[in-house]
Amino acid sequence: MIDKSLRWLDDRLGVSKGGRTFLDKIFPDHWSFMLGEIALYSFVVLLATGVFLSLYYVPSAHEVIYHGSYAPLRGQRVSEAYASTVGLSFDVKSGLLMRQAHHWAADVFLGSIAVHMARVFFTGAFRKPRELNWIVGITMLILGIANGFLGYSLPDDLVSGTGIRIAYSIIESIPLVGSYLAFFVFGGNYPGNGVIIPRFFVLHVLIVPAVIVGLLAAHLGLLVKQKHTQFPGKGKTERNVVGSPMFPTFMAKTTGFMFMVTAALFLLGGFAQINPIWQFGQYQPYQISYAVQPDWYMGWLDGALRVMPSWEWVGWGHTWPLEVFIPAVLFPGIVFNLFIVWPFLEAKFTKDTAYHHLLDRPRDRPKRTSAGAAVLMLLFMLFCASSTDVLANYFHISLNTVLVTFRFLVVLMPIATFFVTHAICIEMQRAEGVGRRKRAVVVTRSATGEFATYDADVRPGDGHEELEAIPVPTYIDLTPRHLATGPGVRRVMR
Amino acid sequence: MSDDGRTGTGPLPVAALDDPHLAPYAKRPQAVAAVAAVSMAVGIVGVIGFGVSYWVGNQTQWQAATLGVGLLGLGFGVAAWGKYLMPQGPFVEERHASHSTEEERSAMTAAIVERGGMVVKRRKVLGGLFALGSAVFGVVAAFPLIRSLGPKPGRTLFATNWRRGSSVVTVDGRRVRPSDLEVGGVLTVFPGGHEGNSPDQTILIRLEQLAPGQGELVLQSPGRSDWTVQGIVGYSKMCTHLGCPVGLYQEQTTELVCPCHQSVFNVRAGAVPEFGPAPRPLPQLPLAVDADGYLVAAGGYDQAVGPGFWERP
Amino acid sequence: MRRLFRGRYVVPSVLAGAVGLVGLLMFAPGAARAAGTGASTGAAGMRSYATAGTPASGATPTPCTLATATPTTSGSPISYTSLPASCIPPGEQLFAANCSSCHGTDAAGSALAPNLRGVGAGTVDFWVSTGRMPLADSSIQATRKPPRFDRLQTLEIAAYVQSLAPGGVQIPSVDLQQASVSNGGRLFTLNCAACHTITGAGDALYKGAYAPSLHQATVQQIVEAIRSGPGNMPRFGPGNITNQEAADIAAYVHGVIQHPSDPGGFGLGGVGPVAEGFVGLLFGVGLLMLVSFWIGERS
Repeated sequence: MIDKSLRWLDDRLGVSKGGRTFLDKIFPDHWSFMLGEIALYSFVVLLATGVFLSLYYVPSAHEVIYHGSYAPLRGQRVSEAYASTVGLSFDVKSGLLMRQAHHWAADVFLGSIAVHMARVFFTGAFRKPRELNWIVGITMLILGIANGFLGYSLPDDLVSGTGIRIAYSIIESIPLVGSYLAFFVFGGNYPGNGVIIPRFFVLHVLIVPAVIVGLLAAHLGLLVKQKHTQFPGKGKTERNVVGSPMFPTFMAKTTGFMFMVTAALFLLGGFAQINPIWQFGQYQPYQISYAVQPDWYMGWLDGALRVMPSWEWVGWGHTWPLEVFIPAVLFPGIVFNLFIVWPFLEAKFTKDTAYHHLLDRPRDRPKRTSAGAAVLMLLFMLFCASSTDVLANYFHISLNTVLVTFRFLVVLMPIATFFVTHAICIEMQRAEGVGRRKRAVVVTRSATGEFATYDADVRPGDGHEELEAIPVPTYIDLTPRHLATGPGVRRVMR
Repeated sequence: MSDDGRTGTGPLPVAALDDPHLAPYAKRPQAVAAVAAVSMAVGIVGVIGFGVSYWVGNQTQWQAATLGVGLLGLGFGVAAWGKYLMPQGPFVEERHASHSTEEERSAMTAAIVERGGMVVKRRKVLGGLFALGSAVFGVVAAFPLIRSLGPKPGRTLFATNWRRGSSVVTVDGRRVRPSDLEVGGVLTVFPGGHEGNSPDQTILIRLEQLAPGQGELVLQSPGRSDWTVQGIVGYSKMCTHLGCPVGLYQEQTTELVCPCHQSVFNVRAGAVPEFGPAPRPLPQLPLAVDADGYLVAAGGYDQAVGPGFWERP
Repeated sequence: MRRLFRGRYVVPSVLAGAVGLVGLLMFAPGAARAAGTGASTGAAGMRSYATAGTPASGATPTPCTLATATPTTSGSPISYTSLPASCIPPGEQLFAANCSSCHGTDAAGSALAPNLRGVGAGTVDFWVSTGRMPLADSSIQATRKPPRFDRLQTLEIAAYVQSLAPGGVQIPSVDLQQASVSNGGRLFTLNCAACHTITGAGDALYKGAYAPSLHQATVQQIVEAIRSGPGNMPRFGPGNITNQEAADIAAYVHGVIQHPSDPGGFGLGGVGPVAEGFVGLLFGVGLLMLVSFWIGERS
């Protein structure tokens, strides 16, 4: 049956040769290589739940009276966008589960991208020949953050509306073209002509996801084409890949992982309430709630806006809103561009133009590791700074103290992190056997009272690493050897 | 997919069933298989449960629990199957140089440079015209693509709907008398006919109890002594940082705080920023009382409201 | 199985433990503050003050009891009734014993505390019934704590302060049956959310002040706070927020803010995306990393 249909297909497309090679494809098994898969499967959940939501959401700022099943809102004048989002949460079966799973999937999607990117960075997987895939990945991260913001804005609730207001002012702050850009994006002075919701909608559900899907295909295509990197180890060289074959081992593991990622997102979606827009109410430009923050992946930008001193500069007959432009436009621009050019900078400074398929241990590249840790610390500090008010309230500290403290921490902590990380790396290099699995030492006492020590057995699983790696066998002699009496009984399965 | 892991035409290797590379990872495969089977059975029950919970009602937690357990059970079973019961190898695949040979590279370059040079260099005018045409098209196409998106700002950012004599109304359109505000009271108001319009939003604060004609409120801002009415001041509610509504008023310290990024404005000193990222004072609205005793604007704002932008002098 | 606690499982189990611990903290953000205030008030001592103030005088025409002193509703959403005169003498005694050291024997205020003449019985009722007065610590903003006086004693003090000067905020009686939760929600967003947050969780203000959580306020206290503007809160008179609107807001706070339906699961403290981000990263990404740690190799 399988044989017959494959022959039919091969007659027309010639799939067998490449297809079999693909099934034999080797994926290294290290757990940190699965972090990107979390992002991949979160994205699958995003697409699936997003299609569901788009069937009920109405991208319109048109004002209606709410008549749905959530009593505290009944009779209020709300936009169709808001009414339909509340409606799909309460009046569509499974709607709330889908909406919350969608939101959690976005949070986890970007979180896993960040973790995946950190793995790639600290192990040096971005080096030649993988610079292009690194850039593709950064682009997807930027698009993912942008699309997260767009989607967060669609319900037109009080919290997200405040975010749109801030976005408008950030665009407005760009010297020379800012007010024109803001007017073009919003169709006029804030809050615009009611065009921003439909525009964000088409960007969120069509344009940005389409680009992400394209880049994702390129990301995976390049991975297959260039083959995965691997950590150095027994039998692992720059010229080979050691691990599990695509079919069946890797496929089973990754399919199981996909199901578990989906399960985690739906469990979060049903048990951890996220973005309860029915509490927030319809956005009005003159209303505001305290303790409004963007989603976590935008938090570092909000934190940068908070800690920035009020350095507006007026000169040459113009206003330069540097207190907005620097933290919200210039700073993220520098950060992302630094990410993009890092592989080339590193190659230039280390004068290293060789191919690298074996990964670095972070401790062996102390400068890179400490630079990465410093940037992570900077972003983490800014993220924490985005909740100065919540921290002040929770720990009963003055808001002023918290903010001034963060102005210092944002500068000092990354510097301290750089030197501490560097020192730890050097220290770990010197110590023998750090991070390596230890074998237990068994102590025995003989009948005569004599003590003796010896190393314990290898752990389960370690034994496999003792074997020499072999190419994936396509044909397997399925008859156990003790039953094979001669060449006649051998059965061969493809 | 196009890379061939095994070039050459030699016979493919045949593995014996008892090859240790084909042995499962687990030491007791039967026990692992039983665990995986139970997990998948739980998964099936969970997925069926999801169907049931969808059918009988719309309870989010039940739906999530059943669906979550269902997918988790199936996923755990398959992953355990893959990890413990499938051949663990290790297997190896050769890496091949991803780049082409030097001859292939030269050929590629030659194809572009020589073939292209042959036609373009001989017909420079055609090449130039086409480049020019494309560039002109790019510029022209930008107009429908970008210029149609919105109007030019013009003077819009400088103007609000507040005029001399504009009635002061609440968001519900109710006119406001000075007595409506108690000392320490705040009220968000708009010019009559523009209720809810973002740039017009203004916050009234009553600082002191002053009867009509009992003198004016003393604010530490020069030239604005007659902008207040009976201890009431009006400021633009749009933060000069990023335009959030400055709706948080601390009555004891008479400070307005922006809830977005905690800029603090000292109301008694003309709403100058005291703390946080806001760069400029909130613009003040001159107030007066009309013949019927209602609050009106004695004039518009004397500057652009809200955050900074390039055209602002 | 017996190898579970050997070295290779230490890292994941510590990670899992940390995830769980932080998760517990996230789900109970109010716990720290509640525990802190509870501990601090117990020590201040109910004993001496509470017994010292209990009056024995009882033989007056309208006796001062809970039944006579509690305002009753009378057809409108908010109604005010005056307290019987018989409540004033015991109130005076309570005031002299517990309040006069700061506010002065005639409630005219001092360097330590404001003048209370003319603030009205409702203002006194708010401060005393929320436990904010008497102050536990004069250096920080008055915090909500278990009240030192019972209901009748509170009303007696309120009656005494009211008797000193006319006017001020009266003790309201709110009929929630006549209030609109929906309109209250709209007004809450416009007037209250900027400080108390849209979920009523409260937040830190400038210079160490903070807007308190609204989750424990009674309907009566909500209206008293709207009218009297305690502390840094602005004051909303009937010309700004009508009686009907004040009742609407109280109904919304009582019905929705204090009893959110949370149909989507655990509310995560109602503090928004920061808590959500932590949950997403720890429970989402963190747990899935543990899963990949199980599936993949660890050398």
